[in-house]
Amino acid sequence: MASPESNRFDLHATYRQNLQNHEISPPLAAILALSELVVNSGAGTMFELVQELHDGAEVLKKSTTNPISLNAGCELFIAFVTLFPHESDSFAELKSELMRQGQKYAREAIAYRDKIAELMLGFIKDDSVILTHSYSRVVMKALLHAHKTKRISVYVTEARPRGLGIKTYEELTAAGIPCTVVLDSAVAYVMDKVDFVLVGSEAVVESGGLINAVGSSQIAVIAKAGNKPFYALAESYKFHRLFPLSQYDLPTHNPSILSFRPPQVTAAPSSPSGVSPDHQNEAINGTSSATPAAPSSRTMSADQIACNPDVDYTRPDLISLVFSDVGTLTPEAISQYLVAMFAG
Amino acid sequence: MSRAIQGPSAGSQRSVETLVSKLRRRQVVGSRDAALETVLVLRQVVSRAKFSNIDQLVAIIRSVGKRLVEAQPKEHTVGNTVRKVLHHIREEYNTASKGTAASSSKTTYTISNFVLQGQPRKQNVAPKSEATISLKEDDPDDPDSFSRALKPVLMEAIQDVLDELETVYDNVSKNAKDHIHSDEIILTLGHSRTVESFLKQAAHSRSFTVIVAETGPSYKGHEMAKSLSSAGISTFLVPDSSIYAIMSRVNKVIIGAHAILANGGMFAITGSLLAATAARVHSTPIVVCAGQFKFTPLWNLYHDFGALDFADPSSVLGFEEGSLVDKVDVLNPYYDYVGPELVDVFITNDGDHPPSSVYRLIKESYDDDDHEL
Repeated sequence: MASPESNRFDLHATYRQNLQNHEISPPLAAILALSELVVNSGAGTMFELVQELHDGAEVLKKSTTNPISLNAGCELFIAFVTLFPHESDSFAELKSELMRQGQKYAREAIAYRDKIAELMLGFIKDDSVILTHSYSRVVMKALLHAHKTKRISVYVTEARPRGLGIKTYEELTAAGIPCTVVLDSAVAYVMDKVDFVLVGSEAVVESGGLINAVGSSQIAVIAKAGNKPFYALAESYKFHRLFPLSQYDLPTHNPSILSFRPPQVTAAPSSPSGVSPDHQNEAINGTSSATPAAPSSRTMSADQIACNPDVDYTRPDLISLVFSDVGTLTPEAISQYLVAMFAG
Repeated sequence: MSRAIQGPSAGSQRSVETLVSKLRRRQVVGSRDAALETVLVLRQVVSRAKFSNIDQLVAIIRSVGKRLVEAQPKEHTVGNTVRKVLHHIREEYNTASKGTAASSSKTTYTISNFVLQGQPRKQNVAPKSEATISLKEDDPDDPDSFSRALKPVLMEAIQDVLDELETVYDNVSKNAKDHIHSDEIILTLGHSRTVESFLKQAAHSRSFTVIVAETGPSYKGHEMAKSLSSAGISTFLVPDSSIYAIMSRVNKVIIGAHAILANGGMFAITGSLLAATAARVHSTPIVVCAGQFKFTPLWNLYHDFGALDFADPSSVLGFEEGSLVDKVDVLNPYYDYVGPELVDVFITNDGDHPPSSVYRLIKESYDDDDHEL
């Protein structure tokens, strides 16, 4: 699991450990892990060090099925290291300076969500009805922050198959915000009642588009059709140099997603495999709906879920604004930051 | 320094108050007039201000700016002008102080700076041959030495802002003939001075027809039509209600703006949204003529259609309709909000820009920390 040359330092374990902290998102965890890799590396030159960082990023990438946001963090850190002006006396000193920079950034970056919540506040008027999707830490921060000064109510989508909307529902209700879970398929039904849509993000890409939990794209299409603003919240470490033209250009896409399986005539509907039905029941209990457990044949099996994507890509023309710690940006403005960092 | 941060001096305080009350009573209306008056007041404030470092000066200007903006928050150009002056002053200060304190302004290279500013540029510190003024901040012996040394360049900086405002119509119109072809039919509404000078300039080299919508309830379109036809332009005056019907014959819609927002949307005289939407249906290009002083680092927060700025309702329903007046609510909004998707191009005094690049121009012309004055 660890890269071969650093047998005393387990990059992946460090990454996992960083993720234990609820406040740390994958890109930050990756930056922290890579900055520790820097001091633990035996590299003697900048070239070797950067090579080692690239290998490390590869190791982290392989360890997860959805490397998009992690990748954004890795690329940011590596670009930073590559361009770091050498002024230190020795290479060891430079390495520890780089580590300090990485850790300092991670410390600062935790406050970015508060900054975004503050920026967002001006756009939330009293008595707003907000539609959000799945669970996002930065969206939670923004909603809880707005709740301190304004009356808001929130619709949240259930976000099948992981059901993270239920988590949003629980946290918002606990904070006293009126909240209702809606079916992913009821977004068009609810849209007319909503003032704007607010989603978090896995990454914001160069086109200005958004990569986020699956379902965001269709919500954006419906919001556009209903003439409702669609706002995305993204910390600047989620800016990712990627230019997907369609859903199938995402790094998470693989041939098994949306594949057609040969029909299995003997497939017994009475023996569903996998965890999905349990999960579904749990979700239903969570909403205290009194319906008896649905017949298990009507829920997706784990195999069927595996044919579905985790994240999708939302086109920039569907996004009204992106709120980030560097300011309130139009989707077009994202590329300016990415080009400044990675081009030239 | 022991001196506390001061407000503007008594003399300039008076001119600030005069403008505040003029703005409040709507005696100064129109974005260019408001901007001009603001620069003149700021020039006076700066010329009389007592300060011994840059922060004191900025604080003085900001406090004046805040008073002016609060006097009439819907006259966005006031705030823009203050921001622009601040930006110019900081720029002058930075170039002036580079000679004396070149080493002190070394920016630290951190990841957050990297995200904000991108790759570190090779700073080609060209040795400035011109004699830089020696600046000494917070000189305890002579607290005024700083302001004495800096004031001439500051005055020049403010003069630049003033010059820009004074030449704005000419500069917007300078390429007018490239935007209008012979025998075209142009629709406009309201009485935007920028559009007026743009059309008149184009009329020097092209012959075209202008259809002016009356633009009720102010009927500013009447003045516009009179002014254009007296300049020899073939002009038609039509009621607002025929805008949609006439749109199929129109080649271009050219309108002015009150304020252009950071997302590329704009506030423009009522009726603009109607014209823009009708133009969109016919895929007629919508051209907006405006000076860059109208670029405002704000967003249309939540008033979807108007700018929450209302005029006297008597022009909609006068008091002679006494029996009706207390039975209905009468609204007469000044401005429409026209979204960025409805505008094709902004023709400004500094080039033509699509709505999507307005944010970049705003970033270049104002400093980020001045967005909230």
